[in-house]
Amino acid sequence: MADSPDGDLKYVGRSIRTKEGRAPLIGKAKYTSDYAFAGQLHACIVRSPHAAARINRVDLSAATRVAGVRLAMHGADVAALTDPIPDYLEPALFGGKAAAHRCLAIDEVWCYGQPVAVVVAEDMRTARYAAARVQVDYTPLEAVVDAEAALAVGARTIVPGWDDNLLMHVPFMHGDTVAAFESADQVVSTEVKIHRFSTQPMETRCYNAVWEHNTESITLYGTSQNPHPLRLVLAQTLRMPENKIRIIASTIGGAFGLKMHGHPEEGLICLLAKLTGQPVKWLESREECLLIGAREQKHYIEMAVNNDGTVLGLRDRFYANTGAPSACPGWGMAFLTGLTMPGPYKVRDIDVQMHAVSTNKPSWNAARGYGKESTAIALELAMDNVARQLGVSPVTVRLKNFIGKDEFPYDSPTGLLYDSGDYAGAVEKTLQAIDYDDCLEEQASARESGRYIGIGVAFELTPEGGAIPGSMVVGYDTSSVRVGPDGTVRLLTGVTSPGTGNATGIAQIVADELGVDIDAIEVLQGDTNASPYGFGNYSGRSTIVGGGSAALAAQDVRLMIDKVAAALLEVERSSLVLQRGVYTSTADSSASVTFAEVCYAAYTRAYDVALCIDPPLEATRTFRPPSIRHTPDANGNINPYPSYSNAAYATVCEVDVQTGQVKLLKFAVTHDCGKVINPILVEGQACGAIGFGIGGALTEDVRYDASGRQLTRSFMDYVMPRMSDMPPIAVEHHDMPNPGNYLGLKGAGEAGVGGSAAAVVNAVNNALQPLGVVMNELPLTAPRVWAAIQQASVAPTPGGDQ
Amino acid sequence: MAIHVTTSINAEPVEFLCEADDTLVHVLRDTLNLTGTKEGCSTGDCGACTIVLDGRLACSCLVLGVEAEGKSIETIEGVATPGALHAVQQSLLDHAGLQCGICTPGIVVAARALLERNADPSEEEVRYWLAGNLCRCTGYDKIIRAVLAAAQDLREAAS
Ligand code: FES
Ligand code: FES
Repeated sequence: MADSPDGDLKYVGRSIRTKEGRAPLIGKAKYTSDYAFAGQLHACIVRSPHAAARINRVDLSAATRVAGVRLAMHGADVAALTDPIPDYLEPALFGGKAAAHRCLAIDEVWCYGQPVAVVVAEDMRTARYAAARVQVDYTPLEAVVDAEAALAVGARTIVPGWDDNLLMHVPFMHGDTVAAFESADQVVSTEVKIHRFSTQPMETRCYNAVWEHNTESITLYGTSQNPHPLRLVLAQTLRMPENKIRIIASTIGGAFGLKMHGHPEEGLICLLAKLTGQPVKWLESREECLLIGAREQKHYIEMAVNNDGTVLGLRDRFYANTGAPSACPGWGMAFLTGLTMPGPYKVRDIDVQMHAVSTNKPSWNAARGYGKESTAIALELAMDNVARQLGVSPVTVRLKNFIGKDEFPYDSPTGLLYDSGDYAGAVEKTLQAIDYDDCLEEQASARESGRYIGIGVAFELTPEGGAIPGSMVVGYDTSSVRVGPDGTVRLLTGVTSPGTGNATGIAQIVADELGVDIDAIEVLQGDTNASPYGFGNYSGRSTIVGGGSAALAAQDVRLMIDKVAAALLEVERSSLVLQRGVYTSTADSSASVTFAEVCYAAYTRAYDVALCIDPPLEATRTFRPPSIRHTPDANGNINPYPSYSNAAYATVCEVDVQTGQVKLLKFAVTHDCGKVINPILVEGQACGAIGFGIGGALTEDVRYDASGRQLTRSFMDYVMPRMSDMPPIAVEHHDMPNPGNYLGLKGAGEAGVGGSAAAVVNAVNNALQPLGVVMNELPLTAPRVWAAIQQASVAPTPGGDQ
Repeated sequence: MAIHVTTSINAEPVEFLCEADDTLVHVLRDTLNLTGTKEGCSTGDCGACTIVLDGRLACSCLVLGVEAEGKSIETIEGVATPGALHAVQQSLLDHAGLQCGICTPGIVVAARALLERNADPSEEEVRYWLAGNLCRCTGYDKIIRAVLAAAQDLREAAS
């Protein structure tokens, strides 16, 4: 048939914003913590004040004596009624160690803040008061807080029964590194220390579990990125059939990986609802939210380079401090850091040794970038070090080593299959956007007047949409499209939106495929009783697989509607034209019927015009990106990613050498996320991620004392960028369509953290180069920059006006 | 012991009972079911709980319910009229100045207060006025553009 809406009526590619938005603006959006039910009870969790301790006794009696307390439990009570929490991603799948994860600690605590007991009361005040009266008798143990010290001979093993604290060691090796290092002109060593920084969505976690007496089942209103997989985890933990659990993840106030499951409170709150027969709510405090860590790792990098800047070989030994073992998928970030080496660079001889180490710090959970941001930080700081040592421009070093745009699909040395990209082109666009040559001139003249301006560039490769065999991290997802007898559309999808706007993006795709107005589409996500089985939101996958599957389902339904329209109008289907909700025919100028009338006929005339279809107008389809390969190749490698988004960053900063304060003056990014469904959504994602990177590079830091107690407990200590700290951001698109995916989609959302952090660090080092200061230890807080300047070999010559 | 408080919220007289140590954000959300005001940190650092108290911006997590006695409170629920969004709201929608939306009520209340005092703020003034409102999703860029555009819309409407 003739293609329906003419070009300018298509939604894909346009910046529209319709599906979410209005409700939060008027204060009517309903986030999980906004729900309250009749008979609502509140839970408060007692947490360990020690990083490591033996639990001798938990005495709940003083808590249970408080009027209004309904239930108090300790670890042994809960363990009698539950099974260990299954891992989101089992370390054992990759040769790692196993540990039993419990909702509440039994016998020993492994980290500061680990849940030890819980109190349920009729109101929050009583719950908190009673929780403070729980008496726990601990014998503190020596805390193991540093990753490398945790691996030292004689270090105390933090999990009883383990023979050391190495959760997992994976070598990523290819080629002949020894030969590469022997033949190179030079070896450049760089130590990069990435600190613990966290996602901290503005909405903390919240679980409100309702015991449904009529069906003896649980409904959990929860901040979950992955409701269906969480349902299975809860079923196993609670020893209940999966079909007795329903999860409703309503509007989510940001997630960024933190709301992937494995958290002890998920099953615990459900159990409490079951035991009390009443709704039980737990709202995470900001202090509790700050316990969840990520990214702390130390890299020892060596690059074998020739004097012209060619990198021949890469060695990297790194140690990730993943904290106490947990069921959350955080530790996998370290695996991904290794797997995505050497990023965008055409280095074939690599020897990367990943060590994921367990310590007595609180556990990691997934954090935006999922380890790939650390790859970018480590590599990009090292590349700048190469440039400094060779005395060439950081841009030149990168261009020299990039995979060329004609070299795709590209087999990476770790076995990944990069789909497409034009890395050099993206860098070029970024430099233009920031007026690189002007910046260099400004920098030179500023230096004469005693001002320290620096320019930093960085590149980031972010494979997105990952699939790991044997786990609930799958590459595919499923959507249903239902068109009602009035022609309106209900779109249900297994991917969820934690505030990323993917509902709008997916609706745009469906509107185009069906030929309907986008306002006629309602999107439903996050309810396990309604949505098709799906895997939710992670790895920048939602538009790839949510959009891809919704497109297939919409195409099926459209075909049904077209058939009925042709039957109604008594014309050939190929002659139909659908425009602005009206079907006409190129074969018969008098033929005309509205889309809604056709839909009504599809339902009501099943025995004549609609005999050609099977009502209702519904289809459910799955999109399985074809380039994911789980059958190992000759080297035993798999390709877990269908898309390899990438981005180039540049920033300009000024360092106040008298205070160490870094001010960002300019920022530009060029993003390749394949075909762009909605530029404004992609830009929003990119800018948000850049905020994470800038905060991580400069101020965000979760700190501990020597005994493993957390010092960073509120937003007073955890300093995130504010509006006044952020530079204006120029966002450019440089889209190389992904040949394997629907519409050429790649993932969006994860890129930004590592590349921007690296660009900022590189800019600061560039600014301080005249002083001989190089800082490869994050974050570059003002006191630390100031201290580095004090120790510099050259004293600064600040300008007169400073 | 519960204390009786008489106040006005969004120009309506309201009376409520609260405990001496109940915060105002808690009263608004849990007692009065005005859940549009959000609580992101409880320490006065994020601005999600921003309200207007007697004409001045305040973090309702740092105000006690009893302190509202005799005062007037404006919350996000009172910003739009039934028929129309406020210019700041409309502009945030048009410029995609919100993503997850949880910081948005605080930003709307604070930005409206800015534009009531300063009809033509510079970008720098917007950045500093709204520096008390953390947003984790947007990187702020589109919020700033939205507020500047709303200021212009309001100026044009007034002239
Ligand atoms: S909740 Fe009041 S400022 Fe954060
Ligand atoms: S839109 Fe999510 S925190 Fe601002």
